[in-house]
Amino acid sequence: MEPLVLRTLLVLLAAATASLAVSALLGAGSGWAVFACVVVVLLSHHLRQLRALRAWLQGADRGAVPEDDGLWGDVFEALYRRERDAAQREQELALTLTRFRETVQAFPDGVVVLDAANQIVWGNVAAERHFDLDFSTDAGHPIANLVRQPDFVSYLASGDYARRLRLRLPRGETTLSVTLIPFGESQKLLHSRDVTQAERVEAVRRDFVANVSHELRTPLTVLVGFLETVRELKLDPSQRRDYINLMETQALRMRRIVEDLLTLSALESAPPAPTDERIVISRLLERMRAETDVLSAGRHQVVLEVRGQFDLLGAESEIASAFSNLASNAVRYTPKGGEVRLIWEATEQGAALTVADTGIGIQPEHIPRLTERFYRVDRSRSRETGGTGLGLAIVKHALTRHDATLEIESTPGAGSRFIARFPAQRLVPAAPMPATAVADGDSQLMRNEAG
Amino acid sequence: MPQSEHLSKQYDQDLDAIRSRVLEMGGLVESQIQTALDAYASGNAALVDRVIEEDERVNGFEVGIDDACIHIVARRQPAAVDLRMIMAIGKIVTDLERMGDEAEKIARMTRQLYESNQMPPPKFVDVRHVANVALSMLHRALDAFARSDAAEAARVVKEDAAIDAEFLAILRQLITFMMEEPRIIGRAIGVVWIAKAVERIGDHAKNIAEQVIYIVKGADVRHTDMANVERTALG
Repeated sequence: MEPLVLRTLLVLLAAATASLAVSALLGAGSGWAVFACVVVVLLSHHLRQLRALRAWLQGADRGAVPEDDGLWGDVFEALYRRERDAAQREQELALTLTRFRETVQAFPDGVVVLDAANQIVWGNVAAERHFDLDFSTDAGHPIANLVRQPDFVSYLASGDYARRLRLRLPRGETTLSVTLIPFGESQKLLHSRDVTQAERVEAVRRDFVANVSHELRTPLTVLVGFLETVRELKLDPSQRRDYINLMETQALRMRRIVEDLLTLSALESAPPAPTDERIVISRLLERMRAETDVLSAGRHQVVLEVRGQFDLLGAESEIASAFSNLASNAVRYTPKGGEVRLIWEATEQGAALTVADTGIGIQPEHIPRLTERFYRVDRSRSRETGGTGLGLAIVKHALTRHDATLEIESTPGAGSRFIARFPAQRLVPAAPMPATAVADGDSQLMRNEAG
Repeated sequence: MPQSEHLSKQYDQDLDAIRSRVLEMGGLVESQIQTALDAYASGNAALVDRVIEEDERVNGFEVGIDDACIHIVARRQPAAVDLRMIMAIGKIVTDLERMGDEAEKIARMTRQLYESNQMPPPKFVDVRHVANVALSMLHRALDAFARSDAAEAARVVKEDAAIDAEFLAILRQLITFMMEEPRIIGRAIGVVWIAKAVERIGDHAKNIAEQVIYIVKGADVRHTDMANVERTALG
């Protein structure tokens, strides 16, 4: 029999026995009174425990389950165990949910969960950044109210999410690739990825092939034209010489382009720049100053300032090529009478070479693209002055291989500064120089101070 | 987002639907202006045509939304915040439609600039910069409308002064150019038109932001000083 019933019956049986004993001794009235007392006590005990249970069930905090030794004890015990298991499960679930959310938050791509009415439910930080949302306040808004690009709105409404959508953001130049993934019961996941960089790289690659062909075709066309002229026409020797000179100019130009392309490809495929070869900067810069002077042919004032007593670790030929590209740019874009200044100095993070000119300057919108291959601010001018359009690309590559960065500052009409910044691990204290070199350096400094 | 619980769920849905349509129209106008500015930067004739075509759609939105507003007034007799929203939407839609017209103006002027001259028009960076500010004002005004965010709306109102100042700066700059180089007067006047259209876009964005403050706070801040606008929006 059920223990609960059995125990109750036993209690009642004991009470009945006691009552019978009392009634035998003191009469039937007393017996009944005893029995009634026992029943009342029993009932009030049950009622008290029932009230405790109700109070516990209705309580806000659901503290400890009430305790009892008797009949109620078993019930409370079972309830306590169930409660404990539930709390544990809840905790595990909360942990899983937190882990899931943390995972989604760490996801580099944007994720937004949309409900059946395309209202925002929840999303991660990347999505907040991509769409300029704040999920703490934007939950419940229809996504199309906040991401309003007509392309997106019609994509959302179309119901056909097989293709991804390219979405340009309203501010800035960011491009997203987005798609909607239906899941669960008519919910959707909005997935977004920043493809700005990838698109830029793709565009650069496309342009490169077109540019190489174009750059080589132009001098080739001129060359072929003159060849025909020389072959077809009877020319006197002086004219003939002129034409041949012009042809030579074009051929040299083509050679320069091919050489620069080869330099670039060598830089790209070469092993990392050595870290154990010393480049004596003062000597390199002195040579560079002399070259720049020759290139300028007296049209500019070329000033060298060696302020930092550091030498550089790396490949001398690459650094020399980078520096002389910067210097020759400065000469080519600075009008007669201007100044070109080469400065080597210590900085907070290491050292920097600055090539500053007082030239024509660069409009700000061109600056981010200057190091692209064949990118030219002014095509005709660049060719006129003998540029291949690859100089700064070479500079950037050579510097990157030496953990250095290139910074460009410019004021149109006032001049530009190209700053190559080298980190400390690429530097060593300057080597003691032969006496003559020191003297040269001193006189150089004095000249600067005097000027 | 329902402003309040109405007895009729349909009523709430109708209000939300109108709000969404206004925002869809806003998105269209945003992209129309962006396209017009891209056309100005690149001289791409296809973009010019797209701006002009899109204006039809913007006009369609204006008529449709006005009609929906009248229906809701007739059927539901909205009160309090709902009434303010319906009234404000009527005005916001007009502002959006005008902005579309300004975008079209920029596009047409761009075509004229590029067609009359083999040379591209002078690239005045300032116009693009001020245009980006105007575009961002519109974007944020619409965000404020979607989120019922009066504080953001007040910031948009404040920004309009910067656009007006920049317009004057551009004008001065162009006048200097024209005095130095009379041959570019024709082109410079074209650029003035475009700058003026951009300045108007800023004004309309400000109007929309003021309507947002009206919806949320119930106070009309038009034609009052900035201090009052901020006090109302934040109060």
